[in-house]
Amino acid sequence: MRAETRIQRIMPPLIFGVAFLLLWEALVKGFNLKPYFLAAPSKIIEQFFKNASRIWEASAVSGTNALVGLIVGTVLGIAMSFVLSRFRFLGELITPLAISLNAIPIFVLVAVLNNMYSITSEIPRRFMVTLVVYFIVLVNVAKGLTQVRSTHIELMHSYAASEFSIMRKVRVPNAVPYLFTALKVAAPASVITAFVSEYFGGLQNGLGSRITNNIATSKNAAAWAYVFGACLLGLVFYTLSIILESVTRKGDKK
Amino acid sequence: MSAVQVVGTSKIFNEGSAKQVDAIVEVNLTVESGEFVSLIGPSGCGKSTLLRLIANLLEPTQGVVSVNGKTAAQARLDQDYGMAFQQAGLFDWRTVGKNIELPLELKGWDKTKRAKRAEEMLHLVKLPEFAEMYPWQLSGGMQQRIAIARALAAHPPLLLMDEPFGALDEMTREYMQGELLRICAETSTTVVFVTHSIPEAVYLSNRVVVMSPRPGRIVEIIDVNLGAKRTEDTRAAEGFFRSITAVREALRGTHADHVAATAIRGVEDR
Repeated sequence: MRAETRIQRIMPPLIFGVAFLLLWEALVKGFNLKPYFLAAPSKIIEQFFKNASRIWEASAVSGTNALVGLIVGTVLGIAMSFVLSRFRFLGELITPLAISLNAIPIFVLVAVLNNMYSITSEIPRRFMVTLVVYFIVLVNVAKGLTQVRSTHIELMHSYAASEFSIMRKVRVPNAVPYLFTALKVAAPASVITAFVSEYFGGLQNGLGSRITNNIATSKNAAAWAYVFGACLLGLVFYTLSIILESVTRKGDKK
Repeated sequence: MSAVQVVGTSKIFNEGSAKQVDAIVEVNLTVESGEFVSLIGPSGCGKSTLLRLIANLLEPTQGVVSVNGKTAAQARLDQDYGMAFQQAGLFDWRTVGKNIELPLELKGWDKTKRAKRAEEMLHLVKLPEFAEMYPWQLSGGMQQRIAIARALAAHPPLLLMDEPFGALDEMTREYMQGELLRICAETSTTVVFVTHSIPEAVYLSNRVVVMSPRPGRIVEIIDVNLGAKRTEDTRAAEGFFRSITAVREALRGTHADHVAATAIRGVEDR
């Protein structure tokens, strides 16, 4: 792509973003809004840099929880989707459950999990992220493995190909884009789940707990600074999933 | 030895249930080596079913199907035929070259041998520069030529085609028909070809098999005497139109509404 077109593409959202922040700043200053109601962006940025090392530590804690859950959930989800595509009757049993679990806010389970482990354990949070990611990956990858074009299957049968060959040469490559679609949803969801899990007690070392702590002590700008950190962490995960996709996917339509 | 022999073959789906469909009943058909035979008939006449019985993608309810003097099942295991469908059915994640290599991979050929054959096949279908491209970068006609190259990559003696040009525009379609005849002549491949189009069947075939629906059976087999070498002039030849008329008349008797109408009239007359 030529440089000018890229700039042309980036400029409008960038201008909009800057204008939005300026308007926010102007509103806070102009109406003299109190910091406990709404903090000004300049104050938030100030707090962000002042607390940079602490935000970084908290991000590392929440980020690690999210990453561990993301990896474990993805691996388990992929493994289970292979089992389901091999034994269709299991799919009919499990898919409705998986979909309904996806539809309800299962974070609340973390409260129960917290009771099962010691209060200083990160396991409940990681387990929660794993569970959320697992179902997203399972539903999508299982779809990719089973929803292959009938022409492709007939073609493979005409070559007298084994089920294993069909799996390797048709089903798995067909499921790859589905996996990345799942990861694009699961990566930000893993971060969100890691934060929200922190609201249900346990260790007070992650971004989520820091946000509640700062709000509780009326340090509104600092809370916003942690929110900003949380946004950055979510973006990092999302960007990673996109980079991973563009590296792995070569032949598909752009 | 006949390329295809279908003897007393029936295929009944959902036998014994309320949804029973007699797809084809008591069909006999012999296709000699080097022949080009088209199956034509209205939807539901079982022409695709017959093709899939020859391909052993379906098992007959009754009767025997043999290909190259073997059972259809053995012929499939030996990759004695190549198959092309209405959708080109290329794999988006494989380059054009790798698509053509697929049947050779499944036969366990080594990499250099596969690449060499893929290149030969690309020359055969006149798309030699396209090996590294992806299917979605090609037009529909080009994709279908790659599908033919793939079907013939292992040099099978028989090519089975299920409305392969059905999704193409008329101009591309006529070009593809010419190309198919050239390719089959160069490779001396026997073809069984399912189509909806009367001119297509006549232009391509040595014999046109006309089928009727419910239950599917062969009503007539029409010899097309247009000579071995067919050109664009063939489409204007008198014999071409004569054969088209013959096929059309055989088909007219098969139309479901017509059959029903005569049946009712039959009742009234009595």
